[in-house]
Amino acid sequence: MEAKHQWKGWIFLAPALILMAVFTFYPFFKTIGITFLNGYNPLKATNQTFEFGIQNFIDAFNYPKFTSCLYNTIIVTIVTVPISTMLALLISVALNSIRPLQKILQTIFFLPYVTNTIAIGMVFAVMFSVIGTPSRFTTVGVINTIFGTKINWINISMIGGSNASHFTRMFVLCVYIIWNALPFKIMILLGALQSVNKQYYDAAKIDCATKAKTFWRITVPMLSPMIAYVLITGFIGSFKEYTASVAVFGNDLNSIDMNTMVGFIYNQIALAEFGRAAAGALILFAIILVFTMFSRWVGSKKVHY
Amino acid sequence: MEVDNKVKTEEVESVKTQKKSYSQNNKIATITNTDLETLQKRQKAKEITVKTVTYVFLIFFAFITIFPFYWMIISSLKTDTEYRLVIPTFFPHEFCWGNYAEALQVEGFWRALINTLGVAVVSTLLSIVITILAAYAFARLKFRGRDTLFAVLLMTMMIPGELFTITNYATVSTLGWKNSYQVLIVPFLVSVFYIYLLRQNFKQIPDELYYAAKVDGASDFKYLLKVMIPLAMPSIISITILKMMGAWNSYIWCQLVNDDKNFWLISVWLRNSSFVSAADRAASSTGNTNYPIQMAACVIVSTPLFLVFLFFRKYIIRGVSRSGTKG
Amino acid sequence: MKIVLDGLTKEFENKKKNSKVIAVNNVSIDIPSGTLVGLLGPSGCGKSTTLFMLSGLLAPTRGSIVFGDKDVTHLEPQKRGIGLVFQNYALYPHMTVLQNILFPLENIGMPKDERIERAHEVAKVVQIENLLDRKPSELSGGQQQRVAIARALAKAPDVLLLDEPLSNLDARLRLQTREEIKRIQRETQVTTVFVTHDQEEAMSICDVIVVMKLGVVQQVGVPQEIYDDPHNLFVAQFLGTPPINTFAGVIKKGGVYIGKEKIMDTKLPDQEIYVAIRPEGFIPAKDGVLTLNFDHLEVMGRERSILSTHESSLKPLIRSIVEEFEETGAKSYKFNLKPHKVFLFNKETEIRISDDKVYDAPVVMKGLEQVQLEEKKENAFQKAWNKCKGVFKKKEKAEEVKENSEESKEK
Repeated sequence: MEAKHQWKGWIFLAPALILMAVFTFYPFFKTIGITFLNGYNPLKATNQTFEFGIQNFIDAFNYPKFTSCLYNTIIVTIVTVPISTMLALLISVALNSIRPLQKILQTIFFLPYVTNTIAIGMVFAVMFSVIGTPSRFTTVGVINTIFGTKINWINISMIGGSNASHFTRMFVLCVYIIWNALPFKIMILLGALQSVNKQYYDAAKIDCATKAKTFWRITVPMLSPMIAYVLITGFIGSFKEYTASVAVFGNDLNSIDMNTMVGFIYNQIALAEFGRAAAGALILFAIILVFTMFSRWVGSKKVHY
Repeated sequence: MEVDNKVKTEEVESVKTQKKSYSQNNKIATITNTDLETLQKRQKAKEITVKTVTYVFLIFFAFITIFPFYWMIISSLKTDTEYRLVIPTFFPHEFCWGNYAEALQVEGFWRALINTLGVAVVSTLLSIVITILAAYAFARLKFRGRDTLFAVLLMTMMIPGELFTITNYATVSTLGWKNSYQVLIVPFLVSVFYIYLLRQNFKQIPDELYYAAKVDGASDFKYLLKVMIPLAMPSIISITILKMMGAWNSYIWCQLVNDDKNFWLISVWLRNSSFVSAADRAASSTGNTNYPIQMAACVIVSTPLFLVFLFFRKYIIRGVSRSGTKG
Repeated sequence: MKIVLDGLTKEFENKKKNSKVIAVNNVSIDIPSGTLVGLLGPSGCGKSTTLFMLSGLLAPTRGSIVFGDKDVTHLEPQKRGIGLVFQNYALYPHMTVLQNILFPLENIGMPKDERIERAHEVAKVVQIENLLDRKPSELSGGQQQRVAIARALAKAPDVLLLDEPLSNLDARLRLQTREEIKRIQRETQVTTVFVTHDQEEAMSICDVIVVMKLGVVQQVGVPQEIYDDPHNLFVAQFLGTPPINTFAGVIKKGGVYIGKEKIMDTKLPDQEIYVAIRPEGFIPAKDGVLTLNFDHLEVMGRERSILSTHESSLKPLIRSIVEEFEETGAKSYKFNLKPHKVFLFNKETEIRISDDKVYDAPVVMKGLEQVQLEEKKENAFQKAWNKCKGVFKKKEKAEEVKENSEESKEK
């Protein structure tokens, strides 16, 4: 009976498989192929000359903005992921420990999850922006007002004067990314916390553990699988960060050195430099792969049960 | 978790001495009743401190979380003059609802809105059908190579999408799909993650039900339609909502392949439009960006998502807690 | 350490129904130092609630708890000097057995080498020295149970609390483990409170048993005394395997009657009663006072049980355990009764009545039965709000039902 119905499975799968063949499997091999073919352009007709080699990688590394993109990506990752994970953990634990107001606070913390990245990125830009000239600000922006500073964070709409520094721009970007990444992590960790058997906390009380000790010795280890999950997805996500930067700084990221690896890839595609784009993508893939493997390896040692 | 350190060490001391006496095997308590009273007072004080710190911490971060939304909304209601005050006001002096009208009149808004809705609905529908069929095949039907194929599919989840994008861009260019709707829909119809999620859900439906249906002479397709889909409805709803949200928020790909404004999605429109007041436009001066109008546009783009969140929160959380990705 | 409970009461508020449930009602017990006390009763009798109040994990609504000469009623669990073994042990799954035992010692600030020495010491007492490096998931139920006891004992508690510690073990292990608990308790001489719903378990190892029902203490005493002298019908029926046989009866003119047969004389006034007779209280005799209709004979090892019926019996079958019995094929047999195995209870109050002693009813605080709270007055806004909530609740409920059905499938 089973052999007779072989074809049935394939029919049910056909739409998915055909689409994946065209847009997933074929591109995967093709892109890897492109990476190692110098001077090949998939848009051109068939009779082009190209040779096998690693020239595309050399080109990518020599491309003026490449190092800046890589640098930004790495900075964003090592700054935002640990901070947002730590904050998410603290917030979820705090949320889990209260009764009154819990529901409403929870809703507030989940809210950024459903935002349009572009729209709220523009709001962040506005909040940090200074409009006018260096000698006479028209407005210093709400963040400067709150903290009593006059920092030119990102200078949109700033006529003349010195540019905002890379540091302040990076700061704004990281704040936005952390803000944006929190709700997902809180959802996951809060869910995990709520499924921890309350009896372990009772047992910890009986065992004379202080609250801090309970947190570090019971809660964190119990959550460790979910913390690992949140960390890995967070790292992968931030290696692929691009939209947030566009949202805050606009489309011309290269001129202010705020571009990221994914941005680099897209720029190269738009320039029809497929070799360089593919090399960039492969480097990103390699970084993510190494990173994931490393986390798995660490996880297998540190993550409990 | 913030505990008065001094109190803590003192308590530990007293407990310690208490323990000492135990290990010497004479069970005379070292805490007297007066100690007990102070201990209880401290305990109470500590409890209150911890509660207060927790609430202050949470409310502080809740404030940070909603502040951008607050700022977006009040900025969208200010006049341009008020917006440009040196020290920004935290509440508009007068409500300038006209900003919304002006935002809606910015070139391309309606077109982008209709594009986005159309693309979202069509791609969600098609995607759901494809996902259900594939998930059913992987969950219920038996054929050679099924498990290997599924494993291969799962492996593709690890590859960053940018690797596909490069060739896909070339493919859609060759197909002449640049500046079209299908280019926004077709490449993203299959999501391995959703197939995986739904397959898990289908698998939980007991085999007996399937055999019973077979005995009753139902075809596979009928069984899928009448039994599996209704039972897996919550997951399907979660997938629908997440997919819709994804379409509403998609930006990079559209920016790359559609440079014709007629095929823009709402996010691309939002980022690439210049928000100038009608008066400035009439005077055809290049004009400065009118930020209140820009913020009004941001509110307009964000609102549908909030509504979806309010009504379908449960499904979103449910989908998310099993996923690792946004959209 | 001596434990004194005085008027201990715990009420749970049920917000939905706007009512209160009294889980523990005015419990007053004195537990002498070094005894093993069993809190015994059917599920829902408040025994676990009482235990959790002793541990400090639950705060009592009223009443006080005194350990030694200290009032610990409002003291946190950390400072009570107790060890608690949870029903499902609650061993930290991410720690090894040794780490589990060390954890409380670490928290009370014991120096490191002393800690490890102490851990090995208790491990020896409960005989798990060879398991110290394992994770709880690698242990059998009985082993986990010992680890839990070791963890509770490690910090040399004044009071050891055990919440149904044997209920997750299979029958043979249960027998063995309860002896173990008794042995450990004797060795350490720690005052122990032991919660169980199994009367046999309680009878076999406890020095003192506290029988509870619906939050009220029914009787306190040493096991044999409670068995021999139950103060009310519930206690008589709850203790003893096989269970006691109960008949509806009546006292008329100085005679106790079951049906038409007068089984004994009494000085008690005329009233409707229950007569409860232990299975071992029957002696087959041709001139017996009670006639039972023979149903069948059950022989198990050295025990012979006659199973019979009687129209006044509350249960379909009456079990009598006898030493000698000759089956003659008759439809009914006559029995004499051992007077000290027959108990009489007032039908209404179910309190024991007897010629030479007056029994008291269990002590209940007046007016503390289930209370319907006064309905809160709603203003217009609250009414509207509740209505809104109601609509959402309905939706959620529908979804929950769906989810539940899904979850059950997962299982």
